[in-house]
Parts: sequence; C-alpha cells; structure tokens
Amino acid sequence: MRYLTRKTIPRRTFLRGAGATIALPFLDAMLPALASAAAPKATRLVCIEEVHGLPGCNKWGEERFLFAPETTGHGYELVPENTLKVIEAWRDHFTIISNTDVRMAEPQAPSEVGADHFRSSAVFLTQSHPKQTQASDIHCGISLDQIHAHKYGQDTLLPSMQLGIEPTDKGGGCGYNYSCAYTDLISWASPTQPLPMIRNPRTAFDMLFGAGGSDEDRAQRRKLHSSILDWVMADVANMKSGLGAVDRQRIDRYLDSVREIERRIQLVESTNTSKGADRELPSAPAGVPDSFSEHMQLMFDLQVLAFENDMTRVVSFKTGRDASNRVLPESGSDRGFHPSSHHGDAEEGIMEFNKICKYRMNQMNYFLERLRDTVDGESDLLAQTLIIWGSPMGDANLHNHRRCPLVVFGGGNGIHAGGAHIKASDGTPMANAMLTLLDRLGHDLESFGDSTGRLSI
Amino acid sequence: MLHDGHAMQRTRAFLTTITAAACALLPGPLFAETVRKPNEVVQQICIACHNPHTLQAGLNLQDFDAENPHENPVIAEKMIRKLRAGQMPPIEFPRNPDEINGLVNTLETNLDSAARERPRVGTRPFQRVNRAEYERLVDDLLGLTINAGDWLPEDQISASFDNIADVQTMSATLMSAYLTAASDIARMAVGWDEAPPLEITYSNPANFSQHEWERAEGAPYGTRGGISTLHNFPADGEYIFTMRFMSGWGEQFHDIDVSIDGERVALVKYGGDIDYQGLKDFPVQTPPVFIRAGEHRVVAAWIRQMDGPYEDLLRPNERSLTGTETSYGTTSPPNIMHLTIDGPHNAVGVSATPIRQRIFSCRPLSADEELPCATEIVSRLASQAYGRSLTDEQLAGLMHFYGLGAADGGFEMGIRASLEALLASPHFLFRMEQEPTRANPGDSYQLAGIDLARRLSFFLWGTHPDAELLKVAESGRLKRTRTLRGQAERMLADPRSIALSTRFASMWLHLQDLDALEPDEYWYPYYTRQLVEAMRQETVLFFDHLVREDASVLELYRANFSIMNERLATHYGIPGVHGDEFRKVEYPNDQRNGLFGHGSILALTSLGNRTSPVLRGKWVVEVLLGTPPPPPPPGIPDLEETAGAKDGEVLTTRRRMEMHRADPVCAACHKIMDPVGLALDNFDVTGRWRIRENSAPLDTRSTFYDGTEISTPSELSDALLKRPVPLVREFTANLMAYALGRRVEYYDKPAVRAIVAEAEKDDYRMSSLIMGVILSDQFRMKDVPEPAPEADITTADTAR
Repeated sequence: MRYLTRKTIPRRTFLRGAGATIALPFLDAMLPALASAAAPKATRLVCIEEVHGLPGCNKWGEERFLFAPETTGHGYELVPENTLKVIEAWRDHFTIISNTDVRMAEPQAPSEVGADHFRSSAVFLTQSHPKQTQASDIHCGISLDQIHAHKYGQDTLLPSMQLGIEPTDKGGGCGYNYSCAYTDLISWASPTQPLPMIRNPRTAFDMLFGAGGSDEDRAQRRKLHSSILDWVMADVANMKSGLGAVDRQRIDRYLDSVREIERRIQLVESTNTSKGADRELPSAPAGVPDSFSEHMQLMFDLQVLAFENDMTRVVSFKTGRDASNRVLPESGSDRGFHPSSHHGDAEEGIMEFNKICKYRMNQMNYFLERLRDTVDGESDLLAQTLIIWGSPMGDANLHNHRRCPLVVFGGGNGIHAGGAHIKASDGTPMANAMLTLLDRLGHDLESFGDSTGRLSI
Repeated sequence: MLHDGHAMQRTRAFLTTITAAACALLPGPLFAETVRKPNEVVQQICIACHNPHTLQAGLNLQDFDAENPHENPVIAEKMIRKLRAGQMPPIEFPRNPDEINGLVNTLETNLDSAARERPRVGTRPFQRVNRAEYERLVDDLLGLTINAGDWLPEDQISASFDNIADVQTMSATLMSAYLTAASDIARMAVGWDEAPPLEITYSNPANFSQHEWERAEGAPYGTRGGISTLHNFPADGEYIFTMRFMSGWGEQFHDIDVSIDGERVALVKYGGDIDYQGLKDFPVQTPPVFIRAGEHRVVAAWIRQMDGPYEDLLRPNERSLTGTETSYGTTSPPNIMHLTIDGPHNAVGVSATPIRQRIFSCRPLSADEELPCATEIVSRLASQAYGRSLTDEQLAGLMHFYGLGAADGGFEMGIRASLEALLASPHFLFRMEQEPTRANPGDSYQLAGIDLARRLSFFLWGTHPDAELLKVAESGRLKRTRTLRGQAERMLADPRSIALSTRFASMWLHLQDLDALEPDEYWYPYYTRQLVEAMRQETVLFFDHLVREDASVLELYRANFSIMNERLATHYGIPGVHGDEFRKVEYPNDQRNGLFGHGSILALTSLGNRTSPVLRGKWVVEVLLGTPPPPPPPGIPDLEETAGAKDGEVLTTRRRMEMHRADPVCAACHKIMDPVGLALDNFDVTGRWRIRENSAPLDTRSTFYDGTEISTPSELSDALLKRPVPLVREFTANLMAYALGRRVEYYDKPAVRAIVAEAEKDDYRMSSLIMGVILSDQFRMKDVPEPAPEADITTADTAR
C-alpha cells in the first residue's frame, strides 16, 4: 500500500487517522474562475448503487419493517432494526420509495437464470436488460446519470464522474458469458458505451484539479498535453489507412476521448486568464485506504469538492461489487458481504446481514453532513443536490429484483422535499420513480428503461 | 402482495428441472445388445435430461445431429468437454464406454474435418497497454519501478486474462490517465530539481510479521521487522522520515535503523514514556537527511535485541500483531506500520542516477551538440518504447517536443518533454497490426513480421521484441516456420520467459485472489504476509521450473515436488529446508501432488474462517477442466447459515455441506464439485495439513464424478489423470487465449485438439504445447471480419 500526498503546513481533513494528509499549497485562479463561469447552476445529481439489496426486502424483513416503514406519508416510524435507522436524523431530507421492481435485471432466457450478480449492476441506472455476451457487442441502455450529464454537464470540466470502491480483478473475470462491463460499471453513456469507474481517490483528485507540483508545473503540463493531443490527432489520421475496419472504429473512439481531453484543457485555459485570489485547496487524497469507511469518506470528500467548485455536476458511485466476499469488520459482523446476503430467510442470518447493511448505510451520514456544511451561494450543497440511492436487487438471498430499495436524498434545488415514505403499488417499475425524477431534473422524456408511467413522489 | 412473483415461479420451474428425478426415465434402454451409433446414444441417453421439457443446463439435444456437429458447434464443443472429462453421463446412468467413446470421437472427427474445409483463424481489435505491461515497459525503458495503479484505471478481465483486446475500451478517463502518467514518469526519470516537497506514505499490512526473526527485504543484518520499500527521490536534497507504530504495552527501549540501499542514514529512539503503548498516531521522526536523487531501497527497521527463541505466552503466534488495536496487557513487540518520506527540502539539483545515465547516453558540451545529442537520445528511447525502428516522420514529431521543452528550460527539459510525448503516444500505448490493403471480409492473412514478433514477445516475455527478434522480423524471415520456431526456442530459454509464470500462469490459476483473502487472525494467526508471498512465489516458480525443465504439463497435477523456502516448508511440515532461498524440494509423502499441494491454490479457494470444498471443487472443474458449473440457484442459504452445531455436536465443514446440499436441486452440480474439494479438505484454509476440524475427525471420503471412490489428494490426482486429454486441452486453450489476446472460441477448438494430439507423442512437454500455440494459424494469421454495424467485432458465442 502506497500513499502519495502533497506537502502542506496545516493538516486538513482529507485523510483521517493514519497515513499522511497534505494539501496542495495554492491553486491558481482556475477554481474561482471556473465556478463563476458557470451561469445558473443545474441541479447536481449523485447516483449511489448498493449491490445486494437490503434485509427489509424479503418477506420476513418486510413484515418487520426493516426497510419500508409500516405506514406511508410523513408520520412513519422507523423501528430500531430498520436499516435506515442509522440515518434517521436526516429523515426530513429523504424520501423512502418502497415496492418498486427492477424487472430488467431478471433472467429473460434459460441461460440467464442464476447469473443475476453478473448482470444487475448494469441495470440499476439504465433499467434496461443487458445483452448476454462477453465480447464488445455489449448492449444495455443509457443511464440516468448520463442523461443528466449530456444535458447539464457539458460545460463543466468533467461532464460526469464515475467512482467505485471494490477492486475488479477477481480471478477468471465475470461469469456465465457476461462481460465484466455489466458487473463493474453502472454509468452508460450510450447502450454500447459503459464508462470506467475510478477506484483510486488520488486519480480522481488529479482528474479534477490536474496533477502537478505547482501552478507553474500544472500550466506547463497543460500546454504540453495540448500539443501532444494535436500531434496524436494528426498521427493517428495517418495510421488509420493501414488498419482494418474494426481497428478504425476503435481509433475513432480513441479520437473522441482525445477531443474530450482537449476540451477540458481549453476550458481550464480559457477560464484561467485572469488571476483571481489564490485559493487554498483541501488536501489531496492518498491512494486507496484499506478501510471501507475511510475509502467511502474520501470518495464523498471528492464529490463535495467537485460540486463546490462546479467541476462536475454528475456523479455515479458504486459502493460494492456483486458477489464480493469482502469482510467489513467495522460492521461488527465477521461474515463476507455476499455470503451474508444469502441469509437463508432465517432471522439470525437476516439480522447479521442487517449489521453489514446498517454499517454501509451509516456512511451516508458523513456525505450528508459534508453536503449540508458546504455553503454555496444562498444555500448549502445538500439543498442543491439530488441523491438517488438504491439497489437493483431486492432480496439478494433469492437474487430477486422485486420490491427493491430506493431512497432519494437532498433538495435538488427545490425539486425534492423529503420526510415521507412512498409505497408504490405492486408491480411498479423502479424506472417509473426514475422517470419522475428525470422530469424534475429538467428532462423531457416519454419513457425511461421499462417505465410504464410516472410515480408520484 | 406479490411475494412469489412470476420471475420467482419461473426460476423455480427452471430449478426443478435440475432434479435427478426429472431425468430418471430413459427413452431408450440403458444397455443395448450392440454398440449404439452416436445419434442413438444422444437420442436414447443424453435426451433423458437434455430435452425441450426438462432442459437441463439449458440444453436441448432433441434436434442435435452427432454426424453433423458443425451445425451446432458451440453445443458440440461443450458436449466434448463434458464427455471427455467423464462428467457426463452422470454416474447414476450406467454407461457402455464404447458407446460414449464412439459419440465423442464422432463429434471430434466431424468438427475437425469441417474446420479443415473451412478454416477460421479468428480476429480481434488491437490491444492497448494494460497495467502490468505498462509497468514492465517503463521498467525496460527507464529502469524505473512504478505502480501503474497510481494512474491507470483497473483492467477489465475477460476469460481470466487482462489482455483480452475486445474488452479494452477507450475512454476519456483512460486517456487522461495515460497523459498524467506520462508527465509524472518523465519527471521521475529525468529528475526534478524543482520538485515540490511531497509526503509519500508506505504502509505495512497488519499481518506483516515483525518478530525477532523477521528481516525485511534489503534490511541490514541485525535488524528485525520494520518496513522496506523502493522509493524514487526526485532530487538531491533533504528528506525527513517519519514512522508510525502499533505495539503491545510497555515496550519502550527500542531503536530504529533507517537505511538507504543498506547504509544507515539515521538511528532514532522509539518510546521513552513509561506508559507508552505505541498508539497508531504517535510518530517518530528523523532529522532531515541529505539523499541523492534516484530510486533507492529505503528501510526503517528495528535494531534486533535478542537472539534465539523467545517465549510469548500470551500470543505465541507467527503474526507479531493480531487485530488493529492494541490494549493494556498485550505483549506484541512494537511494529512499524507506516513510513512517510517527506521531501525534497532545500533541493540542490539532480545528480547522476542509474536512470539518468541510461537516458542521457550523450552529454552536449556546447549548444551545437545539443540537437544531435537529443536526436540520438530520443530516437533510441522511442524505438525501444515503440518496440520497432522509428520512421523519420515519427522522429521528427518527437523532436518537435524536444524543441518545445528546450525552448522553455534547456536541454534536459527538452528530453523530458519528448519523453512525455512518447509515453503518451499511441505507438507506445497501442499494438496495432497492419491489415493488407486488398483484404476483403472473409479473407484471412498472414500477420506482418513485426506484428508477429510483437505477439511472440508479449506472449513469452511480456514485453517488446529484442534487437535480434526485431531484425529477423524486419527482414521478413519470421514468417518462415523454421525461423519462428528457432526464435521461440531462443526466447523460451531466456530468463525473461518467466513472464509466462508471472503473467499467464498467475492469471490462469487466479493467484490474484490471494490478495482478497483475509483469514481470520484468531483462527489462523500463522497466516503472515510473508507466508502469503512465499505461497505466491511457490506457484510462480513451480510453473517456471516446469517451463525451464521442459517437463510434462501433467506435472502440474501430479509432481511429487515443489519449489519452496524454509518458511513455506515449515508451514507444510516438511523438515530439512533452511533459509530464504526457494529451491526444489521433494515431498516426503503423497499428501501433496502438484498444484493440489500449493498453499496459494488452497488458500484462494477458501473463505476467511473455513475451508470450502465447494470453492475448491469449483476451481478444479472450472480452471483446470473448463467445465464451469451453471450459476448457483438463488435462494440457497450460504453454508454459514447452515447451523454450526447439531444436537450438541460441532459440525465439520463436510457435515454442514452435506446438510446444505440435502436439497436435490443443489445435488446435481455439487456431486461433481464437492467430492473434488472434499479430497482436499485435509488442507486447512492456509494449506496446512490437518486431520481434525472443530475437534472432530475429518472424513474426506466421497465418490468422484466418474464413480471412483476417493478420499485423499493423491487419489484425486490419480482420478483426474485417468483422463489427461481434457486437462491438457484446457491448459492449451488458456495458453492460446493469453497468447492471442482474445477468448478462445468454438472454431479454435480443432486447432487446440491438434496441438494436444501432436504433443501427446512428446508426453505433453511444456515446449510442445507452447510451440504448438505459436505455430498455429490462430497465432500467425488473422481473419478479416465482416463489417459489423455497432460492434467492434463479430461475436461468436463462447464455447462454454
């Protein structure tokens, strides 16, 4: 394990506990300039995926109100065992949406039965059914976060960010003729183009703020990178002639990404001409920490930083990996995450699984606090951001995708109120709730995924 | 309330088909008077389960024609694997071996002759440099050790390997990572006298033992434990070293030796306060130390205070720490958990480093000499980085960056800028293969010499061709079989072919999963980081040994020896091995057999708190035989949920597993996997031999899927080796996938069979299989695919 941090005098909050924490000394005028360049701010969107559903999503848990409270509307009670109990302090800021289904994650052919873990992550934000293949003919749907990014993210440094927690190099790869793209990636820029997740907080930090030791060094890098990109464009155009059709398509994708990086550099350069007040940046993160909660906190810190400086407005965040056997000792359970999700419908197993789920849910407190404590203009980031938290699994014990958990947080610039429990009628697709949220976010879509209408939230 | 929604009902419906009962009625007689023809076997035996109603394993053989298997090649290949492995028909179905052989021979013969008539060599998009290759190429080019994960996103694994081209997608995230890496690495290599002070922290895993007898890598003699790392110092200047600790109570009189490349640069005292407990955040710091630029081995280690054994009655463990907290009364010695290197301060420049000496092969003494010298350096670096000779145009492009950099900051900055450019160049990052201009969809063509050379060197060495291979390739001679074979033999004999072990074998066997295993520290306090690394080394060096000795690939499954050092031998209970060096050691008994005795394999197929015969069995049928079980049906409780005790008896894993699969739904697949894993259950989570579990004697007896009674690892090995062909074919198919950078499809299987048949004469020697892959058309040729509208490549269903 290696941490790399920058030197500073005051120790700030980025990396807690062991290890080192250091800040970039000063950044040039880039940040305030960027922030002011963005006119009226679009609503920021964060989509957070939990992989194994919740203990309240099977019959036993449902009868004991471990996820959906007994009553709907505002006066609901969260029983002590409810997984959401750990974030009850925020109940005015969130809406519990229960009883929606993610049917597109269900098997549609005999060959797909049982392979839910390898498929369902791709479904969460697309509500589309992935094509069973391992090759590059992968096909799913455009994801909700990318719909938002296409419309509201194009003038920010990063149109969107994809963050993840778990390593993806499991031996053998993914199973049952599903590409790992379906298992590991939740953001889909188009039905054929999933976006890679960043797991190392430092890489994400560098993408936001630029790598380099000083303002001068960063400027020098930008200048050189810009020339390199021009050169690459010209060079690749020459190369293409000797390549086959398949390779030429791949080169075109590569050129798209080259142009996107050029756009980013130009954006920084064009907003960076006037020297504003120097501004201290919070400390840089330090690589991937061992502890789940430290890692989660770093990733949340990055999101707050990016929002604060309007460097991106859209984030998708994958907090786990399907079928991961990782043990989270801080949860108080010594069982692996996936084995424990197969709780056998027995009280003891479900409550043990709940320990892990509560611990994971508990991480939200940190994020919500950070958002609330970050003032931006007239209000705080919590009031300006919409957070969609959910899982494409309901009862992971059965790999079932019915009655999946969904919770919406934050004010989203006045588009979401919170405080209530909404129970959808039986058989309502989760896509209906997402379509309603897309409406409120300013998108004009007739349908989304397998939606059959809108869910009143 | 829809508690059993229709998907569940459907799932159940599929599952009930898997019960043995549903397959009990055979449409034909079990035994016929004469040997039945292949199609009769299919229609009278296979169809009992694989019919349109029960559809076991999703397979319907009603319309399958064994005389024309090329009409259904994916299914036919799957049948061949199951039949050759002896997994089908299930043992409850008594079989006439002649009939089964007749069927499988017919399938193979017909498929192979169809393939001869219409050969297909496959294709793929070009490969990009993945993390492992990036590290290797940077090391080869600059002598710089890096961790590519500091920049590059995770590689996507497909069919076990990280080099499968068609899943290596392009994205802005990747592009930006390549650019940042190029700039950072260029600065690290050239040196950076204006480097801002950075704090870089290295951490020890909690299970890295720091006992009296443990010496960290490169640490001076007379030290114990501590932390050891390679660190790149960007400039000559002052650096401060800070250590953080965990310790038992009352440990205070210890000294720490901080050394650079084995030479002490500071000696600092630890503790002092009588109540001091070594809390995590209590740092100890060196004064500023002047260090020259470059990559150095940095070690902070304890001065050893005792010789010989010491007694720790409270925690007599191999691990010097258990848990991540210390508490009053514990007796652990202090452990260094983190080392932070802070600098440079007061940098005075960059002096000669081996890396700089390698880059600056000339030194301009006057302004006139700058450009020629820069041209020499850049062309040498670039041709090495691109793995081929440079065109004038390419050189001119790179020299443009020299000009940009030199204008800003002189000669060295110019070199740095051109180094950044070449590290970000598509010629360095991508391995494009030329397609002949007149190629039409459906044609196949010979790879150009240079493209073939690169395939060969990345396959055998994990890096670019060397000068000799390049020369042969550029002369056009590599296309000749004799020349290709000669080069391959030369490269195989070269030590660099250890890449076959560190890359191919490691991924094929899933060794990376060792990193994910965290055995419970209270159950397995002897599972130290050092032991894990020794286990990994064992498997890598064992495979390498088989390559060097050109042994039979069957040794993987039966060798009566392995490669180990004292630590590992002691762990295995093998006496007489002394020292840290790995060497060949014969097993004293038949408990261990080839890979089935390797701690790495046994641990990576275990869970943190118990062994898993299911996972071990699954690993064998999936990795070694290529017959993965269908997905586990949902709704099956985890083994953990099966009670750990029944009627007061603490159950062994075996008993719990039996109860777990009492459900006939589970039995269909588990009767294949479980006996395999059970035969290995005498190995605990960490690969140590045991005869009891939870104080109950182990009972490892069970019935192998072909009906053989087995109970020990050696009986398992014998049972598997009764049918060597499916083992060698699966090995070869994996070798081919890694060599080609694409998944092996049904249309490659005839080639795999041919390679294996040829190698049989040679007792399946490593070289005969490796050479078989290299000389195959799949390796030397490529198809021109039909244009696909959306996808990058025509997809073939995998044969699995």
